[in-house]
Amino acid sequence: MILLLTKVVFSQQYEIFGKIINTKGDPVSGAIINVTPENLHSISTQNGTFKISGLKRGHYKIVISYVGYKIEEQSISIPNTANLVVTLKPSVELLQEVIIEDHHASEKRREESHNIEIVNNQFIEQNLGGSLMQSLRRLPGVSSMDIGAGVSKPVLRGLSFNRVAVAENGIKHEAQQWGADHGLEINQQTISEAEIIKGAASLIYGSDAIGGVINLKSISVPMENTSGGNLLVSAQSVNDQIGSSLNIYGRKTKVYFTTNGSWSDYADYKVPTSVVNIYSYPVQLNNNRMRNTAGQEGSVNLTIGYKTDSLHSNIHLSGYFSKVGFFANAHGLEPINVDRQLHDADKRDIQLPFQEVKHLKANYHIARTGKNHLLRFDLGWQHNLREERGPYINHGYMPETLPDSLGVAETLERKFIKNTVSANLTDQFKIHNHTFQSGVQTSFQKNEIGGWNFIIPEFTQIQSGAFIYDKWKLNEKVLLHSGLRFDIGHINSKEYYDWYKSRILDQETNDTTYENLQRATNLNKTFSNLSYAVGINYNLKHFEGKAHLGKSYRMPTAKELAANGVNFHTFSYDIGNQNLHPEESYQLDVSGEFHYPLWAFQLSPFVNYFPNYIYLNPTPFFDFEHGAGNQIFEYHESEVIRFGGEIHGHYKIMESLKMGVIAEYVFSEQLSGEKKNYTLPFSPPPTLLFSLKYTPNITDKFMGTYFSIDYKLTGKQSRIVPPEFETEGYSLVNLSMGTKLKWNQQWVHFTFRVNNLFDKKYLNNTSYYRLINLPEPGINFSVSVKIPFTF
Amino acid sequence: MRISEILIFIVFLVVSLSGCKKNDDTDQTPPTIDISAIDAFPKHCDTLYRGETFTFIATFTDNEGLGSYSLDIHNNFDHHSHTTELQECELWPVQTPINPYFLIEGYEIPNAPQTITTHLEITIPIDIDQGDYHFMIRVVDVNGWQDMKGLSIKIL
Repeated sequence: MILLLTKVVFSQQYEIFGKIINTKGDPVSGAIINVTPENLHSISTQNGTFKISGLKRGHYKIVISYVGYKIEEQSISIPNTANLVVTLKPSVELLQEVIIEDHHASEKRREESHNIEIVNNQFIEQNLGGSLMQSLRRLPGVSSMDIGAGVSKPVLRGLSFNRVAVAENGIKHEAQQWGADHGLEINQQTISEAEIIKGAASLIYGSDAIGGVINLKSISVPMENTSGGNLLVSAQSVNDQIGSSLNIYGRKTKVYFTTNGSWSDYADYKVPTSVVNIYSYPVQLNNNRMRNTAGQEGSVNLTIGYKTDSLHSNIHLSGYFSKVGFFANAHGLEPINVDRQLHDADKRDIQLPFQEVKHLKANYHIARTGKNHLLRFDLGWQHNLREERGPYINHGYMPETLPDSLGVAETLERKFIKNTVSANLTDQFKIHNHTFQSGVQTSFQKNEIGGWNFIIPEFTQIQSGAFIYDKWKLNEKVLLHSGLRFDIGHINSKEYYDWYKSRILDQETNDTTYENLQRATNLNKTFSNLSYAVGINYNLKHFEGKAHLGKSYRMPTAKELAANGVNFHTFSYDIGNQNLHPEESYQLDVSGEFHYPLWAFQLSPFVNYFPNYIYLNPTPFFDFEHGAGNQIFEYHESEVIRFGGEIHGHYKIMESLKMGVIAEYVFSEQLSGEKKNYTLPFSPPPTLLFSLKYTPNITDKFMGTYFSIDYKLTGKQSRIVPPEFETEGYSLVNLSMGTKLKWNQQWVHFTFRVNNLFDKKYLNNTSYYRLINLPEPGINFSVSVKIPFTF
Repeated sequence: MRISEILIFIVFLVVSLSGCKKNDDTDQTPPTIDISAIDAFPKHCDTLYRGETFTFIATFTDNEGLGSYSLDIHNNFDHHSHTTELQECELWPVQTPINPYFLIEGYEIPNAPQTITTHLEITIPIDIDQGDYHFMIRVVDVNGWQDMKGLSIKIL
């Protein structure tokens, strides 16, 4: 509903005041109000109110738009209009995209001192890539570490692996994130909102949030008395991917459910070359396809919930499955006997070597809203199983054939099983102008291993933390933040002996003996840490300024403490270090954003210092004791300084034409240790993206039509560490277009994208396959159609 | 329009300035393995003989200092390919290993010289399988940069 009032300012000029509220009577902030033909804009405030001044006597059209609601148009005449009441109806096709807490991107950005990006599934739809991170990497400061076309890891301002925490529905996603070929294991079709915090965020999220947080929401609560769903079908040309996703939801008054099933199947991906040089050896590709990189991905989700004004609880069950082939010519210690006939016969089949992942989750969530309190409790169980499958190859002193007595499948190279139980309890309460949030979090995980090849031992880990955080609203413009957190963690990793005997030569007596070598010893370590943060928000009508200073921490992983094995992809022999301390990080983030109806500009620099960054250092030695003959890499600590930031701006050339620019830069340097003055591995090069987006209003039959073009320049990366190579810069052009067409009372979404329009052959410094010189995917056409329905 | 122009200028300035800084103060050069000398041995497609001792001769060079090298001789009876040489050697038919020879050894290079030529004597046992083998040479410098060469050889 909109309430309008007019007020005479002086003889000829009038102002209109209004308020925007939703069907429940709650104020809606962040809605966009346009007055035509004057072309005046306003955005509703936190109380839902808005004001437009400078109007003259006459007739106008006022248009209110807001995500989740139908665009509302009203004719007004000044000065006659007063107390006009308009009912805003929720838009059917977006019904289920209304988010639980009713917080909205712009509001949250104004109230958090972190540098934060919030996008919904529409952004994912418009920027659809082969994986969730490939769809999100257009955001400033966000990139992806890709393992082929369909698997990727998140990278925030150059940090990845265990330095980025991923949470789904409030529970930290626990998988095998220490592994280089491990992907995110989350199906992007199920994500309704992604919130990305760049920079230290351990205060609320605990260990691992040292480089930032990707906070995903896959549950959205439907509106009362609605039921429906949508069917999404998508396809991509670069890997002949076809996928579909079906969402169904329903709600009476209090009880609701949402469910989703998705499936995607893709073939070996195409690169703009017929030959790739792996360690100077030319590998011929068949039809430019990366041999054996095909994959499958599927997921099912079910949420059943109960929601009243003061209570919200739900149970969420999900299962994720993926099976993805590794590039056959480049996996393993020795690029294995590649049977080209077998691999090239079918582009869709997945032969050895491949990885298979299963991830099951069960979460219980309850939130109670009291007069001054919001109490939340989350309990989660996760099971992650990851298998690396490959033909048995005897490395070193391993027997020529795998003995049956071992009881391990001949193709099971490595297996990792992780079971995690986690619980979070938080209370948010208000005292005067202070909003406090305090909570306790605990998690327990048990990790088991299998297969004939060893890299990390079995381990159990328990982590607990308690925090308190205060948001103090000093006045309408200034918010002050402060918080304190204490964590304690314990890790217990088990000893491991080789299942085969290695030859030991006694140098003095020249006697030869055979032994099962010990690869890991029993290890018990307890870590504790105090982290803190202070921040400020300074908000004006057209300016948002923020600063955040925080100390974050991360518990060393089992791999960093106790690894002892060959990393097949880097030809390295990784050795853990039992003496590692918890990694600490101090980070200062500053951000300033000007936004006017016609233009906006944001600058967000950061500086980050690690007293003890845990770094995998290449040593000048080879391992031959364990029979592999690979270069030894050891974990050690070094001081690291990092700085950089993002610039983001846009300018409306016309009402329907917007140009934008995004620039990203990160500099890292090790200040001490073996690699003093070197950068960090996988340092992202600077990038500059220009975009142009045209959003015409063609007819009433089409809605949300857009055409956009992105031109992305990526600089050369010459700051590298062994064993990396310099990576040349490149430029890419991506096209994207989409519209919504009214069909059967529903808006059917159509999107079409072209990535790498000119089929450019380029290498990506942060790609997993960079070390063996594999180019990135070539030109890719993708289409998707989303059909909403109600019943 | 002026604002956007300023904006683009700032972006260009930042990116062009920041992208240029090189690692002037760090070693970015990997070591090299040279087997082009006349007396270097073995070379690609050479033959070694069972029961005999040969001398491994290769020259390693690095701008800062050499750390260590390793040799890895293993059978190629299944015709897996990881030679780094372009030329293909004539291979025997695929065979099943019975008692294949293998050697994996690491050798430290003391005092981090910038160049050395190895003269390492290796004796091949008499009772091993004849056939195609790979002879892998790896060298690493003091900073961890690596070079690798994979040769195809025959042992008769």
